[in-house]
Amino acid sequence: MPEWDKILSNPEKFKKWKEAAVFLDKNIKCFLEFDPEKGIKLSGTGAPADRPETEPADKPLSGIPFAVKDNIAVKSFKLTCGSKILSNFVSPYTATAVTKLQNNGAVVIGKTNLDEFGMGSSTENSAFSPTHNPWDVKRVPGGSSGGSAAAVAAGLVPFALGSDTGGSIRQPASFCGVYGLKPTYGSVSRFGLVAYASSLEVIGIISKTVSMLKNVFNVMKGEDPLDHSSLPAEEKTPAGKTAKIGLPKELKSIELYPSVRKTLDSTIRNYKQMGYAISEISLPTLEYVVSAYYVIATAEASANLARFDGIRYGERDFSAENPEELMLSSRNRGFGKEVKLRILLGTYVLRSGFQEQYYLRAQKIRTAIRKDLQKAFESVDAVLLPVYPRPAFKPGSKEMDPFSQKLADIFTSTANLAGIPAVSFPAAVEEGLPVGMQLLAPPFAEKLLFSMCRDYEKVFPSPNPPDNYFNRSI
Amino acid sequence: MHMEKEELYTTAYMARLKLSETESEDLEKAVSRMLEYFEKMMEVDVENLEPTTHALLKDNRLRKDEITAKEQTSEKILKNAPELEDRFIVTPNVL
Amino acid sequence: MFQSFVGLEIHIHLLTKTKVFCGCKAEFGDEPNTNICPVCMGYPGVLPALNEKAIEMAYLVAYALNCKLNPMAVFERKNYFYPDLPKNYQISQFRSPVGTNGFIDLKYRNIKKRVKIREVHLEEDAGKMIHAGDISLLDFNRTGTPLLEIVTMPDLEVGEEAELFLQNFRRMVRYLDVCDGNMEEGSLRCDANISVNLRGKGLGKKVEIKNLNSFKFVRKALNYEIGRQTEIIERGGSIAQETRLWNENRDVTESMRIKESENDYRYFPDPDLPPFRPDDLFITNIKNRIVEMPEKRRKRFIEEYGLTGLQADFICEEKERADFFENTIKLGADPENTALWLASDVKKMLNRYSTALKGSRLTETRFFELLNLLKEKRIHGKIAKQVLEVVFKEDKSPVDIIREKGWEQITDRTKLSAVIEKVLKENSAAVQAIRSGDNKPLGFLVGEVMKTTSGRADPGIVHDILKEKLSLTFIHIISMGGAITGELTDDGTVVPGNPDIIIKQVEQKTGFSKKIRLEEISISAILSEEITPDDWSSLIFRVADLLNSQDTSGIVITHGTDTLAYTASLLFWLFPQPLIPIIFTAAFSPFTEKTAEKTSNKMSRSNAIINLSSSIEEAAHLSPGVYIYLDDRILSPLNLKFEKAAPGGFRNWNLKQPVFAGKPVKNVSQELFSRENILKKLKTAVNNTFLVKTFAGMRGDILIKMMDSGITNFILETYDTGTANLSESPYSLKKAFSTGRERGVRFFCTSQQETTIDFSRYITSRELWKEGAIPMGSLTAESVYTRILACYILAESEEELINLMEDTGAYTY
Repeated sequence: MPEWDKILSNPEKFKKWKEAAVFLDKNIKCFLEFDPEKGIKLSGTGAPADRPETEPADKPLSGIPFAVKDNIAVKSFKLTCGSKILSNFVSPYTATAVTKLQNNGAVVIGKTNLDEFGMGSSTENSAFSPTHNPWDVKRVPGGSSGGSAAAVAAGLVPFALGSDTGGSIRQPASFCGVYGLKPTYGSVSRFGLVAYASSLEVIGIISKTVSMLKNVFNVMKGEDPLDHSSLPAEEKTPAGKTAKIGLPKELKSIELYPSVRKTLDSTIRNYKQMGYAISEISLPTLEYVVSAYYVIATAEASANLARFDGIRYGERDFSAENPEELMLSSRNRGFGKEVKLRILLGTYVLRSGFQEQYYLRAQKIRTAIRKDLQKAFESVDAVLLPVYPRPAFKPGSKEMDPFSQKLADIFTSTANLAGIPAVSFPAAVEEGLPVGMQLLAPPFAEKLLFSMCRDYEKVFPSPNPPDNYFNRSI
Repeated sequence: MHMEKEELYTTAYMARLKLSETESEDLEKAVSRMLEYFEKMMEVDVENLEPTTHALLKDNRLRKDEITAKEQTSEKILKNAPELEDRFIVTPNVL
Repeated sequence: MFQSFVGLEIHIHLLTKTKVFCGCKAEFGDEPNTNICPVCMGYPGVLPALNEKAIEMAYLVAYALNCKLNPMAVFERKNYFYPDLPKNYQISQFRSPVGTNGFIDLKYRNIKKRVKIREVHLEEDAGKMIHAGDISLLDFNRTGTPLLEIVTMPDLEVGEEAELFLQNFRRMVRYLDVCDGNMEEGSLRCDANISVNLRGKGLGKKVEIKNLNSFKFVRKALNYEIGRQTEIIERGGSIAQETRLWNENRDVTESMRIKESENDYRYFPDPDLPPFRPDDLFITNIKNRIVEMPEKRRKRFIEEYGLTGLQADFICEEKERADFFENTIKLGADPENTALWLASDVKKMLNRYSTALKGSRLTETRFFELLNLLKEKRIHGKIAKQVLEVVFKEDKSPVDIIREKGWEQITDRTKLSAVIEKVLKENSAAVQAIRSGDNKPLGFLVGEVMKTTSGRADPGIVHDILKEKLSLTFIHIISMGGAITGELTDDGTVVPGNPDIIIKQVEQKTGFSKKIRLEEISISAILSEEITPDDWSSLIFRVADLLNSQDTSGIVITHGTDTLAYTASLLFWLFPQPLIPIIFTAAFSPFTEKTAEKTSNKMSRSNAIINLSSSIEEAAHLSPGVYIYLDDRILSPLNLKFEKAAPGGFRNWNLKQPVFAGKPVKNVSQELFSRENILKKLKTAVNNTFLVKTFAGMRGDILIKMMDSGITNFILETYDTGTANLSESPYSLKKAFSTGRERGVRFFCTSQQETTIDFSRYITSRELWKEGAIPMGSLTAESVYTRILACYILAESEEELINLMEDTGAYTY
């Protein structure tokens, strides 16, 4: 492992790292903006050469570089959200989560690629370029935080920020063989995260190690006066090895790709061996999760994305002759197909006459899902689920068309609907591709998730893809 | 549930989306497919369920009535505007 | 018959320092786009944060409007695209607003009514879009400023009522200090919805009217719209449910043509803002912040301090003024005087220095000091006005001012007696003249005393001492013609009698030799049925003059019987608190020397001399007031009815007890009564006013012809045994009302019956009221008529005239 806290301050190491990053990124295209010098300037640590290597790291993340998904605001960096409509937009402010990291010494080195506004599972929906999986550039890195997952997997940064609305951190982490944390809803401030579905999403972390995951979370968490939906993180004592893991019986009847089924079984075995008790639980509402999730997410998105109209900022169609035409045309040119689909769907489910049948019903089902999980957590400490029914797929593949991709959100969007924390950890490499598994815990039980992941990490650490910065830096 | 063209256009206008012919055909299919899938929700008995509008709730959150905006903020915001006249943001309005 | 339903949607800007969801200054008069930040500009990634003052004010207003306070207020997104709305959704409230089901009690045209409040909700305002040629300019300073929307039920009926509601509401929010209520600057905005339908058929199609940025526009637009919709329904058409815009240049409403899909706002709870649940402490704080509302305070001021409706209106208009008033009273000042001074001289000074009461040099303490100096007779009225001016000019206390300037009044009777003694000695000729019956030099003597004391002598005491020293009891008889001072000729006609003979007769009876002055007002005809504005103005002027001169002990007015009820009530309205008794008397047949001889049969022939003599004696003894003396009976000038031309033919109607003195129509100094002024105004009043019996089957459209000839005030006598209707035919008042309203004609209703009629339970009267007629309580037609004449005389502007007239019905006796 490289000494991450020295890379920015040691001119020689810095140069080497930067060259490697630029080179690797040519293949995987994980960055939308890569500008470590700007990040250093912003963090107040000065130019790499100015800072003596010997300076003690007084802050927990001193000198550590990280990448930020391009739907999270960092002042002076662009904030494109992977969309044409914001292709030249520079943020005038910084997200609270990023500020906290900067205040603790971490340095933003660039912005990572994503599915436009976080809408997708493959990072193909970026308006600029798709990102490729470092394990196999012919495959997708997952999404929507595909850029962040690829950057971490390729070893360019020890961690990166992503956002998770329905699995957007956990699924690419699983595809790329790294750790992905979707924290408890509200435990990390959303201020600065460009909203897709406000009641579901949260800023989270993709990292190479569990300890980094934990350190970064501990710095980012906490109530924010700028986000009234944020919450003070309560400490939940972890159950440690005495913790009980629940396994939904519904998994039996859900079709899983063989490598995923195999990994699920091996994970159960491994945890049993470590001394964890596994018991069967039931999540009867699991089959309605995707419907409820997409109704709520698109409804909220239809309002959240209304602000992009070409009037106050963003790309504008200058040929329009009146404000209405200007809005219509700017939005038409600025948004991609998937975004339009979700806006349309969300607008429709909120319309009077349809709202009861779709939006209101989905919210009630959301209550049922929460209750199911609450009930489960009465008998177990954590729930084990696959992250995704299959490993990284190839772009444009027939069996994984946009509709099938949505159905595949079944395991991840549960945690978003319930607001509970969930982590994706690398559990195996099958057929040359990493496969991740997922643990869900009650609200604010992140500490339990970290300790369970740490236990698994000892058995199976994050695997390295064939070409990465680590084997280049050695 | 299939979405009629008419409904699609009404909805698109509400969302200020101007759809081309091919686009609307694709979207009509995609939206209809999703709406069909949503029909599944009708199986659930929601009788005694309150809707969840917020994920986790905390007590009242209020802000003190104190000015926090900084002077330069407005200048930065105006710099992002596609078109300006004096300090006004401009839109076309050809009658 | 049609019914109209009007509901209002009122928006007020709350007086917070910052916007409702961000820390930008909540001021929108600044340079364009200066008070903006990423949050209110709808930047990507930002979140709203609720301003605690805004939610407090919202609950405060909801509480003041008697709303049910919501235990959980939810913010929702109202989705619509508009260039001035940065997020293209507005954070507002929908399913769970701050307050619901409240009400405001309104008193319109003297009828009480409860206007229900549907809801009170907090939201954010949009920006401003200015159209300039082929571009539009956007200013977002106003974006996100806190806006409170108050929605009423469609309980209002006409424009005037809606206007009144809005005025009351405005006063209320100003009292609560949550909004400055400025309609022109847009800090109070109003949209209205209105539907017209056949009576009993419930609500019709709802039409919304926007762009009502003044009280006047609200009234005009609603009345225009009622007319427009009524006309369409009458023609058999149907009303389009739509939004219309008030065009203030053309005085019409115009369709806005909004697409129907625009009205689907797709509300849903805003996930960024947790619901607000007020706890007990919050609610207690709200309740503690509530102040007495203007309507309640107004009512209390009338009951507790005896103010008139108009006085209370003026005092309670501004909270600051009402507080000032009450603080002054608490220091010990007399309420009536305090109100009087505030409405006249203090107001004048505030205008002159263009300052508000709060923070002016006149503090409550200084004001009380001034009133107290006046009460203790240490200064008199004229000096008091000078002192007030000096307070404003030199910023000193009244006590210091009179000490420094030596303005203290001389009230010491011994001191003044000595001065008067000296003046009398020096002016023996004047004294002689007075003693021989000519009281004119009295004023001269008073003037001499004032001159000797540099104006500091108390004029009242000077008069008292003078009258005592000269032993004066002057009774003035003013003859207004009529049988009482007439003479019956052999052919049966009445001609003016010989004054000398009358005086001689009276002097014999009363023993007031030399102390009775008989003046004849030169009236145009001996018969009072032919009375003219000229005659009335001469009388009013003379009475005012006598009251001012203070050299008479009582006034007896001889009058014809036909118009006695009019003249007596007119004087009552104009001189409700005279300092001496004013007695009207009359006779049913004239005095002749023959009847005088036949003393045994006098009652059957004439009661003239008896009535006159007795009136004179009463004038020397009765307490101040206006009286009717007839055949050993004392009657009230108000609600006097001439029922038959025979002894006992006059009676008072609808009075719980006799009324001889009352509250002034308006507080004025009698200096206003110049003869020309009275005459001019009376002529206008008489030319503009008409009394109509609204009998069943009358041709109401004839009233329109009368409007054509200049009638602007109709007094409508209504009867519960049958009265004109409001159907759609010429034999109804309908057309007259609608035409009248267009022309600004006023209608007053009296229940012309000898019982007090409760208007609210009486269908036709209620209809009349709804159409804008002003109920006159239990006053008789004569008293209403003269009340209108009095209002004309006293009002200094058209606006004041209407206010004074509308205040009338508030009187109950």
